[in-house]
Amino acid sequence: MRTRTSTKSIIMFLGPAIILLMIFLILPMITSFFISLTNFNTFALADWSKAKFIGFENFIDLFEDELFWKSLFNTFYALIIAMPLTIILALFFAVLINREQTYFKNFFKVGFYLPFVTNTVAIAIVWKWILNPEYGLLNWFLGLFGINGPNWIGDPNWAMPSIIMLVVWKALGYNIIIFYAGLQNIPEFLYEAAELDGASRWQQFLKITVPMLRPTTYFVSVMVLIGYLQLFEEPYMLTNGGPLDSTLSVVLYLYRQGFKFFNLGYASSIAVILFLIIFILTILQTKLKKTEY
Amino acid sequence: MKKVFIILFVLSLTILSFSKTLTIWAMGEEAKKLNIIADDFIKENPNIEVKIQAIPWGSAHDKLITGIAGNTNPDLAQMGTTWMAEFGSMGVFENLEKDLKNSATVSKDIFFEGPFETTIVDNKIYGLPWYVDTRVLFYRTDLLKSVGYENGPENWEELYDAAKKLSEKGKYGLTMQTMEYQEIMPFIWQNNADILDEKGNITVTTPEFIEAIDFYSKFFKEKIAPLSLSGTLFQEFANGTVPMYFSGPWMINMTKEQTPEIKDKFNVKVVPSKKHGTSFVGGSNLVMFKNSKNKDIAWKFMEFVSRPEVQLKWYKEVGSLPSVKETWEDNYLKNNSMMSTFGKQLEKSKAPVNRPEWAQIEDALERRVQEACYGTKTPEEAAKDLKKDLEKILR
Repeated sequence: MRTRTSTKSIIMFLGPAIILLMIFLILPMITSFFISLTNFNTFALADWSKAKFIGFENFIDLFEDELFWKSLFNTFYALIIAMPLTIILALFFAVLINREQTYFKNFFKVGFYLPFVTNTVAIAIVWKWILNPEYGLLNWFLGLFGINGPNWIGDPNWAMPSIIMLVVWKALGYNIIIFYAGLQNIPEFLYEAAELDGASRWQQFLKITVPMLRPTTYFVSVMVLIGYLQLFEEPYMLTNGGPLDSTLSVVLYLYRQGFKFFNLGYASSIAVILFLIIFILTILQTKLKKTEY
Repeated sequence: MKKVFIILFVLSLTILSFSKTLTIWAMGEEAKKLNIIADDFIKENPNIEVKIQAIPWGSAHDKLITGIAGNTNPDLAQMGTTWMAEFGSMGVFENLEKDLKNSATVSKDIFFEGPFETTIVDNKIYGLPWYVDTRVLFYRTDLLKSVGYENGPENWEELYDAAKKLSEKGKYGLTMQTMEYQEIMPFIWQNNADILDEKGNITVTTPEFIEAIDFYSKFFKEKIAPLSLSGTLFQEFANGTVPMYFSGPWMINMTKEQTPEIKDKFNVKVVPSKKHGTSFVGGSNLVMFKNSKNKDIAWKFMEFVSRPEVQLKWYKEVGSLPSVKETWEDNYLKNNSMMSTFGKQLEKSKAPVNRPEWAQIEDALERRVQEACYGTKTPEEAAKDLKKDLEKILR
């Protein structure tokens, strides 16, 4: 039953959102793709005519840029460690919170969720102290067991693990809530039936919980993948990419090129590459999901 | 009817009392205190209004860019010395050469040489030094005395010797940053080396340059200096973990406030010399924009802030160092031994090369020096890689 008024009202309701999306998301994306084909820099800002079309030169430069490769390596290093860690831990805690025997459920939910909504700047300052090699809480704690803790953010080998620790801790809360919601949707009778058939707790988890959570897991892993590929705030606040560029992420490098050096053409080419990487990986994930069914 | 008359009367008054408005953009602490100076200026020139807009340092660069791009820039702006080349080469500043020639009070010679050089881009004078900042050696008198350098180290050999002995006795000999060009460049200049020569050729692979990097990184490789500080500099300086460091004038009062227990146990000294004792000079200039409609009063204001007495008042308000030499003759600064050390250092100070690509040069320099400090590259390798980076940046 489509009438004119309903079309009108659809446009009225959706219009503002679509227009805003166009102006602030779609248009800049297209623009940045075009800018990536020019040598847009500081001089062009004062006088746009100074920007020259240079084709794919930025991308060729990028290919030879050792720092870009390093930032790509760092980002994937963080992703490969942090992504499974986040998913497994989030599921683990969600199952724990979901148990009937758990007391203070809401307290735990809030506790895990807090880091996600806390300001990153504040978190970074507190973590800087936690990770301090001499006065830090973490090394004091390790010292209790006779372990001589490393110089967490001052040592090139430990800086990235420190960042990973921080991002996982920060991302947990949100993903626990998502998993928890997913767990709530699994019908109770499946477990009852399994119990009658003599399935152990572990078997129930593997044969019922994990398969039933598949859509949730898919959602979480896509979100986590996109989020971690855009790693920026934590290294920016905690280490500013150092020491020895060991925590320089792709977005942090993009930020430097774009807003520190104002090589906007070059920065846009980094953005385009990152967009393609995220795009391809997300499509791959979708394909994987389909084959599982 | 009466109302209409009053309105007309007021309107005609505002049109008649024709006053000019000068707009100034300033950053940080300066912006907060600038109205004090502006009020004095207005007292002298009652028909001029001054509008000061404060922009935070963090977003100042973007704001200036958008101001220039959109023609919404002020008449005058505060400009960090290292930004001069970048904005100057856009061609948006007024060349002040004529004004300087015709001025009765202001000339090139009243300023320190190093700071004045920062105003020159492409052989044009694009501003006046407003206030300056330079780095000197801070040292713990009692601890340095214990290794036989009561008055602090004079030159590179003594600096290394003192620091090494101190690190053997205590924890470290001094602290320096692996990623701070303001601390790296003086060592390079002191050995008569530089990043670029006058013709703009890259000179980072000269033996002098490599020797400076080698000397700088030696402190870190031999664990005389920490790769990263654990606590705050004040605490580490007070408890003797780091008996020496290089920093600017603001640290004097902050040290006395934060760690009063060592208030009489530290002193400042001009930087240790190799071939000479050159230090870094930074600070801010005042620049006039080409499209300003009030160039005459803008210049008037520039002349005003360059007066020794105004410079001194500014120092008392904000604590930033006067760029006008004569100000340092005042007893207020002369009788303050720590401050007069900064005055001495300004005589031998240098600013980094004025190039629009400075932000990238700085970034590359710091990265390569850090690699040498961590020992992942030899000073020669670091210098060779730096040369490659610079070739790419300056092509």
